[in-house]
Amino acid sequence: MEVKAQDQIAFYLTSAHIGSALRTLDRGYRPALFARYGDLTSLRYDFPLVLNTVGSPERAVLSLSGLVDDAVNALQEDINRDRIARHGYELERQLRRELASVGSGTPASHGDFATLWNAAASRLTIEDKTDDRSSIEDSAKRLWKLFQASGELVDVDFALPARIARHVWSVVQANKRWIFRNQAERLLLKLHSILEAEIANSEVGRSPERLKASVGTSFANVFDFDIMSNVLVRAKPAVRISDDRRNRIQHLIDVLEHQRFFPIGSNAKTYEFIFYRAADAVKAYKERHREAVELVKALMVAKLEVSGEYRESGKVDDKSSANGTLEHTAIFEDFGVDGLDAGQLALLPDYLVCKYSSELDAEETMQIVDALSTGLPIKILLQTDDLLEPSVAQARLAGPERHGGLASRSRHITESTIGQTDVFVLQSSISQAFRLRDDLFRGMAYHGPAFFSVFSGATGHTKDLPAYLVAAAAVESRAFPTLVYDPSLFADDQAGDDWATRFIVDKNPDVAYPWPTHSFEYENESHEAQSKKLAFTLADFIAMDDRFKEHFAIVPNADLNDAMISVSDSLKSNSRELPTAVPSIALIDVEGCLHHAIVDRRILEETRRSQNMWRSLQELGGIHNSHAERLVEQVKAELAKVAASPTMLAATAQPVTDKAAMPAPVSGSDAVVITESSVASVEESHGDDPYIETARCTTCNECTQVNSKMFAYNAEKQAYIADPDAGTYRQLVEAAEGCQVSIIHPGKPRNPKESGLDDLLERAVQFN
Amino acid sequence: MNTTRMNGTGTGIYGIRTNGIGTNGMTEPININDCLLQLYEEHYELEDYQKGVPRWCTGCGDNAILTAVQRLCRDEALPPEKTVFVSGIGCSSRLPHYMNTYGVHSLHGRALPIAEGIRLARPDLKVFVNMGDGDCCSIGAAHWIHAIRYNMNMTVMLHDNNIYGLTKKQASPTSPIGLKTNTTPRGSYLEALNPLTVTLGVSNVSFVAQVVDWIPKLLYQTLSAAYHHKGFAFVRVIQRCPEWLPTHLDEYLHDPQRILLLQHENGLTIDAELSKRYTKIEEHDPSDLNRAREVASGADPIPVGILYRNDSVPRYEETRSDTRLRTASLVKNGLEAEFDKFTIWPEVDDRSSTGHARQNAQRESEYGS
Repeated sequence: MEVKAQDQIAFYLTSAHIGSALRTLDRGYRPALFARYGDLTSLRYDFPLVLNTVGSPERAVLSLSGLVDDAVNALQEDINRDRIARHGYELERQLRRELASVGSGTPASHGDFATLWNAAASRLTIEDKTDDRSSIEDSAKRLWKLFQASGELVDVDFALPARIARHVWSVVQANKRWIFRNQAERLLLKLHSILEAEIANSEVGRSPERLKASVGTSFANVFDFDIMSNVLVRAKPAVRISDDRRNRIQHLIDVLEHQRFFPIGSNAKTYEFIFYRAADAVKAYKERHREAVELVKALMVAKLEVSGEYRESGKVDDKSSANGTLEHTAIFEDFGVDGLDAGQLALLPDYLVCKYSSELDAEETMQIVDALSTGLPIKILLQTDDLLEPSVAQARLAGPERHGGLASRSRHITESTIGQTDVFVLQSSISQAFRLRDDLFRGMAYHGPAFFSVFSGATGHTKDLPAYLVAAAAVESRAFPTLVYDPSLFADDQAGDDWATRFIVDKNPDVAYPWPTHSFEYENESHEAQSKKLAFTLADFIAMDDRFKEHFAIVPNADLNDAMISVSDSLKSNSRELPTAVPSIALIDVEGCLHHAIVDRRILEETRRSQNMWRSLQELGGIHNSHAERLVEQVKAELAKVAASPTMLAATAQPVTDKAAMPAPVSGSDAVVITESSVASVEESHGDDPYIETARCTTCNECTQVNSKMFAYNAEKQAYIADPDAGTYRQLVEAAEGCQVSIIHPGKPRNPKESGLDDLLERAVQFN
Repeated sequence: MNTTRMNGTGTGIYGIRTNGIGTNGMTEPININDCLLQLYEEHYELEDYQKGVPRWCTGCGDNAILTAVQRLCRDEALPPEKTVFVSGIGCSSRLPHYMNTYGVHSLHGRALPIAEGIRLARPDLKVFVNMGDGDCCSIGAAHWIHAIRYNMNMTVMLHDNNIYGLTKKQASPTSPIGLKTNTTPRGSYLEALNPLTVTLGVSNVSFVAQVVDWIPKLLYQTLSAAYHHKGFAFVRVIQRCPEWLPTHLDEYLHDPQRILLLQHENGLTIDAELSKRYTKIEEHDPSDLNRAREVASGADPIPVGILYRNDSVPRYEETRSDTRLRTASLVKNGLEAEFDKFTIWPEVDDRSSTGHARQNAQRESEYGS
């Protein structure tokens, strides 16, 4: 036993097989936690996906299982529901099997959804022995009707990241195109109408020939069109628009009709917006910049033109110049010299670049970082197929150089783009595609640059494991953690603009812990059910890769001992001394038997590095944030201190009692009373002067007809006494008598010498 | 109104919603000009809506209604070129002449169908309708009933002075029993028609209010509430005719006790000044249709306020909205397709007629696409 433990420690330190007790990790072993995923085709999970091309953008990426479930739920009380559901699940399994049988890494694991669905249905019908055959076809048809989906059915393979990115990109662009066309076509129609209206109202438009044509053949001989033309031309002057305006409108029409961003009509050819190199995208953007500026400007000017709000230079009327009006001609002269802002760029299509990380060199990396830092609406997809590239990872594991790291090429760009704060960043494995579809949409619809770093799982070095499992394992083992950095959350007031809002890591499994742990059930030699917690670490992930098998050694089950501890436990100590325990991982072979393998020190150190990197991601994402934890400790200590001191307690209680002793604030009703009494006193203060209850005036013109200098309307068109001396007391009394709502109060006569005062005073009594 | 917005920091101007996928897709329509181009302030005065000198008699209640709608337009800063007043025939129907907006002084009783047409063709315009009691309740009654049911978004004012004024004193449907007019010299024989109960009895009714022209504050408040209502907002304005019925409404005019104010948080709010003069106030919930019908049946005191409102009634123009761009070719193809249905083709042999049938089908499909 001692000797065997020595052998194990020796392997751990040197990765050399000393003694015969250890076996090499040969084909057929996979991490123990994969035990349940032996046959993916018999499980129901997110994949395959439907890249849907019909319906709303929210339904652009759908899961086949989800579609089937929704369709079955929609059947509700249908009497055939059970039969249809059963066939639906069978068809789903059949499709999954067909796509998977093509094998991971080959480009054919996708196809048209409708074709595949019908093919699967007819195959099931042929194979079916028990059921009546027409019922499978019927179920397939009914389910298909409920799906309301059409497009490609795709499973995980090396081409999937680019396929999904292009699909989501095109859905976003289609939406943009719809908005753009909706706006531009309406504007064009109205611009044309302006020009046509001028012609219709001109002499040409009223020429005898035109008039004749407009009447039609039935009455062509009834009228004398020469005379009609003559009359119309003389009677109604032509409406002419200025040459400047006509030229401007014609120019706008030309720009809108000939632009190649979102062509209107079938003549113009669309620009290409999907590129293979970031530099090409930037170059294309620069070449088209002038046209883009011209187009955005044309949209703005056209909108002003059609609403008649465009102000030409030198034609500002007095009223508007008094309000500080600027002329639009001057504004638009220099439009776009500083480039277009995000809002304006959002009108135009985005650029998409799809790139493989294995083809990245230093220059291309720089170009990507540069392109992202320009703030232009460029979306870059960087696909990583191999996280443990020999050129970087294996050299490091074998040689003395210790630079670079896991997926170092894409990580480098991810980190530098997050630092730029205005780039949308999404990093994830393709296995998360369905769960992250909303984030993907947000990124594609984001008005600035976006960077998507995706691991495809199709490494080509992982034995017979399906790409989906490898991709999922990369997320699970923290080798390629999911992260989203969404700067658009800046703009949303409700979400706030802090790092915690924008940086999202909680889509990773067991986000609060170093490694995700799962319970693992198995049977021992005497067939007793056993269960233990297993952490899925980077070491498990590396064990899947053929190229690293010499770093693992299988220990025969007879030689298992307490000195073998799990990788996650051994990472807890960081001692440099001679180890007393060796790290190990649990594996299963093709028969499903459990084995344990020792991990050598280099793999353990790599795992430790990965754990440290995850730790810093956690901190950035606000999980176990060290600053926050320190602050919490500090506050706790202070609170404890306050609680311990009785004098402090009394001091804090003091202001509360003061507040209670304060007199109650004046209540609302009291305040109203005061105001009302003051109003009343104002009302009473008219004395002997004449006055009108202006607020009750109905603008009936009675008083203003009596004397328009004495009675006038205010800005609300209600009467008041403008000048009591502008007329006689008689007029005041007559106006009061004429006022139907009796709101004129004549008061006392201002001129005592006016004739007939006695009679007038008597008549005025009822109004005072 | 101040529309100056020099820069755009909101989410709307970017066109793309920045916080996730919205309910109507990812994006909302872009208004590019919000960000830069409205550099001048729009500020309207009452005079901006005034045109000409009203030829109504002095003392006429139409003046009060004119002033109230002018104030409403000013306070809502309605651009005159985006506002249209439609009327039929009568004293009241001269109102569009005095508004410096677009206006249609149409045929007797036909104000509502014309307003409906405007509403369908130009949904961007604010539509107001002014009708007299003869115009609306007599010759235009059929249109009135169906307009209520269509519930298209417009503000409708019934200037109700109980008489045909323009033609010099003939009885109208709302003339009270016993009223002596040129057509009823021994007094009107029939019970008057109550426009409120009629309106409240039609299905799809969504807004009914009554107000009198001599309380300007309430007139304004009621018209404002009607304007803000989404749907067919019917306001009956009881109005004086100083020329032909000079004393007809005097007892209501001078006795505040004969006015019943309807107050509610979802209706009108009566301020202290009004409640000091008009002390008869009832708390009436405008969502209560049955109570509204009861209140509407009462003629003395005159109920004033919002009797009924329901914002959830569907609007005809929204159920029938056509998002297609009405290009010349679309209209032409549509018309051609319709005309072709009634054309007698000179060639009558079978082959050519199927040819035409095919042509028709093609045109129709172009129009329908």
